[in-house]
Amino acid sequence: MTHSLHRLGTSENLSHDYPLICMAAHGMNEEGAAGKMGKFLEICRRHGPVNFGDMKQGSIFVHDADDIIRNITNTTLVQCVFDDIKKVEAVLRDLREADLGLSVVVSGLTDAARECCQKVGLEIHTVSQSLGIWGKTSRLPSREVLEITTMCGHGMTSSSLVEKMIEDIKKGKNSPQKAAEKLAKPCECGIFNPSRAAELLAAAAAK
Amino acid sequence: MKIDPETCTGCEACVPYCPVQAIQIKEGVAVIDDDECVECGVCFRSGACSVDSIQEVPLSWPRVIRAVLSNPLIESPDTRIPGRGTEEVKTNDVTGRIKPGFIGLALEMGRPGTGTSFRDVQKVTRALAGMGVEFEPQNPVTFWITDKKTGKIRDDILNEKSLSAIVECSFPLDKLKAVIKQVQAVAQQIDTVFSVTTCVKVAPDGSLPTDKIFKELGITPYPDSKNNVGLGRPLFQFEEVSS
Repeated sequence: MTHSLHRLGTSENLSHDYPLICMAAHGMNEEGAAGKMGKFLEICRRHGPVNFGDMKQGSIFVHDADDIIRNITNTTLVQCVFDDIKKVEAVLRDLREADLGLSVVVSGLTDAARECCQKVGLEIHTVSQSLGIWGKTSRLPSREVLEITTMCGHGMTSSSLVEKMIEDIKKGKNSPQKAAEKLAKPCECGIFNPSRAAELLAAAAAK
Repeated sequence: MKIDPETCTGCEACVPYCPVQAIQIKEGVAVIDDDECVECGVCFRSGACSVDSIQEVPLSWPRVIRAVLSNPLIESPDTRIPGRGTEEVKTNDVTGRIKPGFIGLALEMGRPGTGTSFRDVQKVTRALAGMGVEFEPQNPVTFWITDKKTGKIRDDILNEKSLSAIVECSFPLDKLKAVIKQVQAVAQQIDTVFSVTTCVKVAPDGSLPTDKIFKELGITPYPDSKNNVGLGRPLFQFEEVSS
């Protein structure tokens, strides 16, 4: 219920952020899953993702994309991120036709995801929702930092590094795009969206 | 994780990479606070250290659970799943883990970015156990709950910390309001944060059975959601459960 959920943002900036996950159910349909997850990533790659990766290997910001696809194992999970819902629609259409038989999860703005599935003829089976962050919220960094760090659902992209990137952009030491790529590297699974991060970094640095 | 004081130059390049701010510069060299370090390995993998001073050290029980729950590249030895060690509902179309009439609840302790102690995790598992929930068996945290009826966690890990620990359970939908109130209460008693996830099977008419309940509770979910689009095979037949 987790690593592609809880992405903090506005409806406007979340409209450029759609993670997809594919995995086998352990002990149920995992035999041959490695090849199918490879096909999933190949299909995603055809439609221009901004990031992708394998949970046990890492993302395209650290490893060669072909190597990642070649070395997938049955018990891992793979993920991909798009910054355009039209690309997600195209991916889902291809996935439906490919009939890989593995579970696929689409995260993002609820209304957009629903409409996208309807257009492709897919019925959403199960939905996870975020009720937000509870507890000692005084320990959290600023909202503008959280909108970036929560794109790495495993918490690998630190708030301190985001704050440093914003300062570096302000000082002219780095561009928003290069800073976003730097922030994408610690996110091992490849679910961090560097395209949206660059937009958010530029806005934060302009304040 | 360790930083070799003999080779560290004190350049500070590694400091911002730590998700829990456990690296500090002391007497000219970078030092990792062992108690705060959650063994996620980000500093090591970042490549920030130009002189390779950051080292991974072998971990034994119970400290090893920090790495299992914090480093997503590691596969949980109990569930064989990398990430945070649970499939949760990513495969619900095949597993039928969350059934119609039930709700899945995941409280991800320490997320985002604050980390959690297992004493705080235990406060939450105790609160949920008191509501009669069923803890998800294929979740690493559940493996460490020694008494499912009280939510007690094994004593030898209570002093451990991790970047995240997902407390995952399910219960009938009619308990949702009471469970949410219990969770709101325990949220005031812990020294960290948690991200709250609910999960339901979509109704045949496309609606979510939680919509009305959340409205009555005054809770507005985030505008984004996570949707299993039903492509897994063989598709779980829920009729088999009710018959």
